Amino acid sequence: MKLSLTKSRFVGLISATALITGVLVSIPVAANAAPACDGKSPVQTCGGVTSDGAPYVMMVPANFNGMVALYSHGYRYNIDIPAGIPLIGGYKITNTPEPIPGGNSEVAKYFFSQGVAIVGSGFARQGWNPDSAIKTNVELIGLFKDKFTATTKVVAWGESLGGVITQGLAEKYPDLVSAVAPMCMADNVPAELTMAGDFLWGIKTLFDPSIKGGNYSAGDAGNAEAYGDLIKVFTVMGKLKAALSTGAWPDTSSATGKALAAGGIPSRSALLLLGLLAGLPTQSAHFDSVNGPDGALKLSFPLAVSPALAILENGTNAAALAILATQDVELQAGGAIFDNTKTNYSARIDTERVIYNAALSGNSAISAMLGALSAANPGAPRAVGNADAIAAMNALHSNSGVINVPTILMTGVADPITPAGASQRVVDAYAMQAADEKLAAFADYKATKTYTAPAKKLLMIWNTTPASWTKFDATGSPIATTPAAQGTNHCNFTSAQLVLVAKTLVSAGESGKLPTAGLIKAAVRRAGNLSIDSLYRAPLLKYYNEQ
Amino acid sequence: MNRRKLITVSAVLAVASLAVTAVPAQAAEVGVSSTEIKLGMTLPMTGTASPGYSKIPAAVKAYFDYVNANGGINGRKLTLVVKDDQYVPTQAVAKTNELILKDKVMALLAPLGTANNKAVASVVNPGRRGIPVLFVNTGFSGFADKKKYPTTFSVLPSYIMEAKIMSEYIKDNFDGKKLGLIYQDDDFGDDALAGFKQAGINFAVKVPYASGSQSGTTAAGWVQKLQAGGAEVVILFGVSSATAAALGTAAVMKYAPQWILGSVGGDATTIKAAGVPAGVLYNAVGASFAPATTDTNDEYVKLFQDIYLKANPTQTFDNNVMIGMNSAFLTAQAIQAAGKNPTRKSLIAAIEKSGSTFASAALVPLNYSTTSHIGYNGYWFGKYSPTGDLKPAGGVYTVYTTDSGDGAVVKSTYKRPAMPAKGLPN
Repeated sequence: MKLSLTKSRFVGLISATALITGVLVSIPVAANAAPACDGKSPVQTCGGVTSDGAPYVMMVPANFNGMVALYSHGYRYNIDIPAGIPLIGGYKITNTPEPIPGGNSEVAKYFFSQGVAIVGSGFARQGWNPDSAIKTNVELIGLFKDKFTATTKVVAWGESLGGVITQGLAEKYPDLVSAVAPMCMADNVPAELTMAGDFLWGIKTLFDPSIKGGNYSAGDAGNAEAYGDLIKVFTVMGKLKAALSTGAWPDTSSATGKALAAGGIPSRSALLLLGLLAGLPTQSAHFDSVNGPDGALKLSFPLAVSPALAILENGTNAAALAILATQDVELQAGGAIFDNTKTNYSARIDTERVIYNAALSGNSAISAMLGALSAANPGAPRAVGNADAIAAMNALHSNSGVINVPTILMTGVADPITPAGASQRVVDAYAMQAADEKLAAFADYKATKTYTAPAKKLLMIWNTTPASWTKFDATGSPIATTPAAQGTNHCNFTSAQLVLVAKTLVSAGESGKLPTAGLIKAAVRRAGNLSIDSLYRAPLLKYYNEQ
Repeated sequence: MNRRKLITVSAVLAVASLAVTAVPAQAAEVGVSSTEIKLGMTLPMTGTASPGYSKIPAAVKAYFDYVNANGGINGRKLTLVVKDDQYVPTQAVAKTNELILKDKVMALLAPLGTANNKAVASVVNPGRRGIPVLFVNTGFSGFADKKKYPTTFSVLPSYIMEAKIMSEYIKDNFDGKKLGLIYQDDDFGDDALAGFKQAGINFAVKVPYASGSQSGTTAAGWVQKLQAGGAEVVILFGVSSATAAALGTAAVMKYAPQWILGSVGGDATTIKAAGVPAGVLYNAVGASFAPATTDTNDEYVKLFQDIYLKANPTQTFDNNVMIGMNSAFLTAQAIQAAGKNPTRKSLIAAIEKSGSTFASAALVPLNYSTTSHIGYNGYWFGKYSPTGDLKPAGGVYTVYTTDSGDGAVVKSTYKRPAMPAKGLPN
């Protein structure tokens, strides 16, 4: 799910990948055959295509030490996006192989310096693809071992949906990998698309009922419906942004929305509520919900405006995901997969309604908005899913969170696409697993009088946000053109952070265990903006109804 | 995640680990050294919400310095690290994280604001970390829920209690009058509404305002509604800035009902500092659980005033200072009760075990126990003098107590014990 709001970032990603993969152009590639290699030194590059049609790249240093790092890339849209679509238009489906995150040369350099080879494919199918991608990776590992018979260890890592694929590989085939590092890992598909669907449904219900919001047709007609929704959602977001200070509602608002507007509730409060109901972070690339401009807005901006602006930034990403991933999964599942007929939105925000009370315009406004969005209001019709399609979606690959091999998780605490709660779910599952393992070890001790403490197999690294980061120009307007703050945006990691994960992965792969706490602490401190605070807890996705 | 199972497993493992490993030497507690105990506080020190509240840290420090000058607690100095959260919940989270992870305080002391405390509880989760949150500066009744906030101790009477007791005062003194209510439209106000409902009070006009929206302009709208509804007695259940906006604007609009000020927004110094003439406050009804700050016959007022003004000679001794110093006094006793080498755990246990017997300036009892984290539970009512000072009616403190449930409001028979020697922990 390597979605990015900015076209330039996506293009940058593809370009960077090309830096590494460019050498492949002259290499003959045969489908479903042994990889073809250029034999160059100090790093030889091999390419080929797996039996399911996924092009791949292997890069093997001359000092190959027997370890290979398998990278799984994130979500790529499964349809072309016409150039006229704002923000993401011009995208073409690609299965360009990605053996290293974003083509990051510093990370590749590190691996090569250690004698570690890198490998990655572009997968045969884009969109939500863990089922096929895990199979592709299994085949790719076999192809690599066949070609490079000195291979002794395979470590795997991936970002976003690639994190799901990596975790899935370790869960299903633990014998194939020595250590894994799922980064900014997505949650399972029902949880992710519930988050995205909730937000999109809210936007449709309040701000533009002509948004289709799911149950897309098959084929070109469905693509056209999705394109239409993208344009409408981005247009609504633009109108909400323009009206942030006045609180005016978009002219496309529904009767339900207009009634709330008539009640004096600003549109920014409704937008924030939708973000909170969906579980989107209230801190974003440029809005920290902490800083205010000097002057009269010093307090009211962070209290009443900034959280809505953060939802605006984060929600645009979520809505794009909602449309494109929903359409993709609907195609796979055979019908509408979002169903909120039984969702009790009021119960979801017990805590948030207190914390963001001012931005939500107070309890009376919150009650009015929740009432407007309740199932009892015929003016807010719920989305009805197709039971068979939902069952088919639920049958797609899911990770249980079991940890079989040393595992390093890293995620941003305010990632809007793959919220930190997705990693927290694995942390929680591992807490139970580790407790069971300790009990088993103690039972062994009682029988044998020899106690062997079970090894800790999970390291959770949180990519934290700075204390504050919203900047203002001389007129007091917020600046939204600076690079995204750490901990925000999707998979927004520095090279130093990625190298830290790579180092830890290599170390764990070699030794079969995670580095000591002291070593990790020092390394984390050096990489910057990271925390391994074991008591930090990210909220789970709203799908899990955690209260 | 099955938390119950995890807790059970953890408990078993705790016992098991004793059996299979050597017991490690006890590590020193975070924030406790051989010479110092470090505590942390978040509250608005700058910005529009800071007036009044920004005096609290200096009040706490003044008392801590007094304790330190008298030998500290078991030889350790009490120190306070203060972080300005500007009354913004997300800022409170960031600053509390700093206090815990960077400053490494032993406990949080008197963090202010319902939304801020809720944000911190949700994101930083001191309860999960075992970090004591002492004497939170909010009367939201929910924070006394030990199950939900296991390390948090309330100290202020809850807003529900205040509303219930205020209702009795209204029935006794303004029966039959048309009532109006201005309240903060969040959990603070909801608590008050629950208390008034419990007491059977009906309002002719209710004016909610969203936190942060208070200003002269919005207050004009409130006053118009109250006037239109014919409210003769108006209760202000909001923060000081809202009280000041309402009183100041009403005076300009020549609207003069009988005002009743809730304790949160009733600090006269803060209201006057916002530009409201003392005369506007005159004859308004107010409430407090501590003695009047002008009551220098009271041994606590006398001592606290002396300590505070020596440390802050240009400041005024007011209710915010009084409450801050009282919380500092409770803290010193709690740390002393936590043993010679206090830990976070022993500090919590000490308050649960002995907190109800701590000496205190308040005229109402503390209610701490192993099953209760409720602090004070009552108020006395009085009127503001021509100079804006809150004084008990007839010069006598008539205190009423109640609970946050459906318990009755009763006249308190509580007799405050004498102050320990020099106002120091025994």
